[in-house]
Amino acid sequence: MSESSLRSAVSTFHELGIRAYVALATVLFLAFIGLVGVFNPESSLGALFDILTDKSTLASALRLSVPIAFAALGGIFAEKSGVINIGLEGLLIIAAFFGVYATDVTGNVWIGMGTGVLASTLLSGLFGVVCIEYKADQIIAGLAVWLIALGLAPFLSQVIYNGPNTESVSSLQSFTIPVLADIPFFGALFSASPIVYLMFIAVAASWYTLNRTAFGRWVIASGENPKALDTAGVSVSRVRYAAVLLSGVLSGIGGAALSLSLGQFIGNGATMVNGKGFIAIVAYLFGNYNPIGAMLATLLFAGLEAVQIALQVGDVFAIPQSLVRTIPYITVVVVLALVGHTRLPAAAGDHYESGEE
Amino acid sequence: MKAPDRLVDLFVRLRGASGTERLLISLAALFLSMLVGTVLILFAGLLAENGQPAMSVFGIGFAYNPLTIFDKLFLGAFGDPLNPAFRPLQGEFAWIIRPGFDPLNGQFANTMAETTVLLFAGVAVAIAFRAGIFNIGAQGQLVVGALATALVLLPIAPHITGPVGTIVLLTLGLLVGGLAGGAFAAIPGALLAYLEANEVITTIMLNFVATSTALYLVSTHFKDPNSFANQTVALPDHATFPSFIFAARQDFSVLALLFAIVSLVAIWYLLNHTSLGYDIRTSGIQPDAAEYGGVNAERTILSGMVLSGALAGIGGAVYVLMILGNFQVGVPSYGFDGITVSILAGNNPIGVGFAGLLFGVLKSGSIVVDVGTDVPPELVGVLRGLIILFVAMPEFFRMFGARIIPDSQLNGYDEVTDDE
Repeated sequence: MSESSLRSAVSTFHELGIRAYVALATVLFLAFIGLVGVFNPESSLGALFDILTDKSTLASALRLSVPIAFAALGGIFAEKSGVINIGLEGLLIIAAFFGVYATDVTGNVWIGMGTGVLASTLLSGLFGVVCIEYKADQIIAGLAVWLIALGLAPFLSQVIYNGPNTESVSSLQSFTIPVLADIPFFGALFSASPIVYLMFIAVAASWYTLNRTAFGRWVIASGENPKALDTAGVSVSRVRYAAVLLSGVLSGIGGAALSLSLGQFIGNGATMVNGKGFIAIVAYLFGNYNPIGAMLATLLFAGLEAVQIALQVGDVFAIPQSLVRTIPYITVVVVLALVGHTRLPAAAGDHYESGEE
Repeated sequence: MKAPDRLVDLFVRLRGASGTERLLISLAALFLSMLVGTVLILFAGLLAENGQPAMSVFGIGFAYNPLTIFDKLFLGAFGDPLNPAFRPLQGEFAWIIRPGFDPLNGQFANTMAETTVLLFAGVAVAIAFRAGIFNIGAQGQLVVGALATALVLLPIAPHITGPVGTIVLLTLGLLVGGLAGGAFAAIPGALLAYLEANEVITTIMLNFVATSTALYLVSTHFKDPNSFANQTVALPDHATFPSFIFAARQDFSVLALLFAIVSLVAIWYLLNHTSLGYDIRTSGIQPDAAEYGGVNAERTILSGMVLSGALAGIGGAVYVLMILGNFQVGVPSYGFDGITVSILAGNNPIGVGFAGLLFGVLKSGSIVVDVGTDVPPELVGVLRGLIILFVAMPEFFRMFGARIIPDSQLNGYDEVTDDE
């Protein structure tokens, strides 16, 4: 490697800032556990190494990524267009419930998926009208979307199923590619729910849409400089509606996939969504509004969640379950503190008045 | 406060048609939420399996009758004071209060107990919102305050008895709750002030941490060995709020309610008549201008957050010392109700008093609805979100109002309403 390319690599590292340090720290930590695991397989860290390299851990990390990644992609579009959608959690909840309910009624998982997406899109449309047409405070309207879903899903579940949890319905089956699925660890990539594949496609498509299409440019302009977009003859509020509805569609896929991979909606307490919508927000902030960065951040959080579940089952460090469960949440807080001030799109949170009215 | 500041303050208050406007918006939002709630009840009645039609409109049988539900929701919370023989619409008049109605009934005591805790949760959220901080973590701060109060009082309560003991223990309990809640809120407060970490996310994440940590501590170290539930042993009676007026078996103390009302007035005074309050309000309205005017932004954020957390923590202490008598996991979502209470009150501490009572009625009435009908109490959870949504869009009501009263009649009022 020549000196100049080394220098450019170092400067890229500095540009990435805290993100690069977190990635480096993660890699070093994994390498450390790897070394201990190889040389001292009997120790607790050795057991952790076994968990980390287990195919089922990757499989569960991928499964847990789905709702977070889809909600994060949706959040990127909405926020890039200038509408901060803090109600992603609510969209996931409503899609998770209606996905299971429609599957129960029709007996078809894919109709269930579609209904979940529809419910989430309608709710995001309501959010859009409230924020764009009636100029509500976006944060408060987003909180309202979350609280409405948090009340509505268990309410409907009580009415229909006489309890906060629905009955079990048929679930999404995983899709296995023979031979490739037998590869150690990475085989999990080839034996997963179709939604996991769809997630990777959606990440690539979102990146392409934002960076290479006219719609992507409009979305970014609508968030950065709505006046310029308006001058260019594109309706700012239409672009924002489209972006908010898109966040509803994407979150809907994530939410419906969450409940349908289990075949049940769980509505106790914070429901089965359990903060994933808020973790998604941190994932895209950490990913700096880049779909690929958001996906990597999602994998970090979902990976921690998967390891946390495996730790609970394996009882490795003899830490009580209720404390292990806090690890992903504390990590999110730490990451958010490290990322600190994120550069929001310039017009995010602002209403835009078109001069034509 | 300096004279020019006073003048500014006066103008802010004089601009005050906005106060009436806010009240109207809150009432309209409440009305609209009820309307949507009615539609929801009718719709839910269609979905309900094996429900007997309670009413039928245009030949469609609905399993639930919204009028019955709202009757139980609002009047049930007061113990059904109305006389069934009082039917003015049918021309039958009787004494409006039913014979044998006990104004100190258990359901009303429950309503007032819920209200008391909600006043603290509501004012906790209000003071943070006024400072421009979205503290969604009142729930976690309340849980931490409740837990700390129980854990500190449990070992010492048996050693301090008598009436003096009650005073000492209650004061200590409230103090511990406030300190614990404030300390827990200091984490997201400091992260926001010094690292600009978005407080909405950090406080929500810390809610999960608080719940899980409480579960861990209670289930492993402080569990009542004679109970299957995850709860501590009960505090002795002399360590809990004494009952006046209401019967001792009811978990409501007028003393605690008075303390809550005094706290609301104190916070109102702090916001409107102290320099910290002035800093908090100006930071909330115009953070840049406030900082330019010499307000230390970081310190104001931190103190606003700690104050908010302390109030939520005191709410948790009251919940333990008045309602539970010990600590149990699964604390009801007072913190989230507090958000609605505060938003409905326009983040005004005195308004919180009324909004808190309304929500106390809803929470207590939802239990009556649950017992008396098939409609689940989660209905209140939906109303909670709807109310926030409607209050959040004042523009909707303004446009609606503009359609009824044409602009020409409003000339001259425009300046007052527009700069809200």
